[in-house]
Amino acid sequence: MADKQIKYAVTLYSMSCEYFTGKYNLEECLKAVAEMGYKGIELVAAQMIPEYPNPSREWMDEFVALLKRYQLEPICYSAYIDMGIRSDRDLNEEEIFQCTLNDMMYASYMGFPIVRTQHAITPKIFEQMVPYARKFNVKLTIELHRPHTPSVPVWQEYMRIMDKHGTENLGIVPDFSIFQRTPHKLYLELAIKQGARKPVLEAACRIFEEGAEVEATIGKLDSLSEFEIVTIKDIYSNFYSNSADVEEMRTLLKYTPYIHGKFYYLEEDQDDTCVPFHKLLPLIKEEGYSGYISSEYEGHHFSTEVSSAEQLHRLIKMENRILYGV
Amino acid sequence: MAGFQAFADYIICEKPIENVVVNGQAVGYEFEIKYPSYRGTYVSCIEKLEIAVDGREIDPKDLRFCLNHKEFLFAQIPELYSEYWFIHDNAVIRVFQEDGLAKDRDHEVSVRIVHRIPYTGYFGDYLVLDSANTKKLQVL
Repeated sequence: MADKQIKYAVTLYSMSCEYFTGKYNLEECLKAVAEMGYKGIELVAAQMIPEYPNPSREWMDEFVALLKRYQLEPICYSAYIDMGIRSDRDLNEEEIFQCTLNDMMYASYMGFPIVRTQHAITPKIFEQMVPYARKFNVKLTIELHRPHTPSVPVWQEYMRIMDKHGTENLGIVPDFSIFQRTPHKLYLELAIKQGARKPVLEAACRIFEEGAEVEATIGKLDSLSEFEIVTIKDIYSNFYSNSADVEEMRTLLKYTPYIHGKFYYLEEDQDDTCVPFHKLLPLIKEEGYSGYISSEYEGHHFSTEVSSAEQLHRLIKMENRILYGV
Repeated sequence: MAGFQAFADYIICEKPIENVVVNGQAVGYEFEIKYPSYRGTYVSCIEKLEIAVDGREIDPKDLRFCLNHKEFLFAQIPELYSEYWFIHDNAVIRVFQEDGLAKDRDHEVSVRIVHRIPYTGYFGDYLVLDSANTKKLQVL
């Protein structure tokens, strides 16, 4: 059924490295993703809006014109709850409310149907935003990102609010990082470059695979450097603990219009060894999901040497292979 | 810790140092730095900003942080929660030093930025990154 087809989108965040280094400006990022065949766009406001947090009408008009030029469609405006910007205290309720309201207005003006905010919005303010989301005709969604999982208590509250008010204007954006397991190639290469020994990290991963906890694993390895201990603890917390079970995705889908297809590195024609796309994609297809899955390349946190375009190309190939056998 | 540091190599911009000249006399020098992240930040998120030139740590009293067409004392940095540092806007670090820097050789500049990531308080604490970069720069 055509109307049950999963739709692809891309976050411009995937081009972080090219954009940061000045290889591509905003227009060149848009051109690059249009050439890859993407239609739907996610903009990370804090990344690409020079006047952030308050884009001018001129900037927004120009952005909309650029999207038209490359026949792209605005899908998701990514907003932040920057709770910790002040040195003396966290943001208060009035400030969280105001920045969220602003972001929803900018998104609405530019034609983004989805606004992605963050967990720190609080259930109280999230619920306060409901009439504004209706008025502005946007869907206010909260990203469920690592280290959170659906079992963190606040998410039960968010889901209750969505059950009460419906999902026409509210939603969850699951980020696939919540399901990640086993460190990816770029993580290990960077840790080795920074001074950890490869056989030590490989041995630690093997022990973690058998279900061992972090202290027990460190105890089994001899003469670790301080950096290796820090790295092994980091590997444990990022890849061998605190991950959601793939089956938990089923519960989330009811609230989900947009998914962050987070990944860090893909080999040509192979499945992802870190983020379990091969389990997640068949599951969301089986559930009849017809929202977006956004390609979110995040290897740039670990290396500036990898081509984002090539990684996005490999991702789409992998997704098509898993979803449609092509 | 691995990750989130890939952009630290870009902190110091590859542009020559310029002496700051007043009435024909060099009173200091300046160079440009970038915020080392995929997104910009509020200047108040900088918890430490340390500058060393030719191996000598510069006294913060001799330093100014210039951004968004404004010039700030280093002591003001924690209060600048309305100043956004966009990733393509280079900040200028101005160093007050009589006679500026000699042009006959390159100078080694080191910058350390300890910065709070303001949206990371998932379970209370914010992620604080310690990013450093050293480069040899010419004087224009």
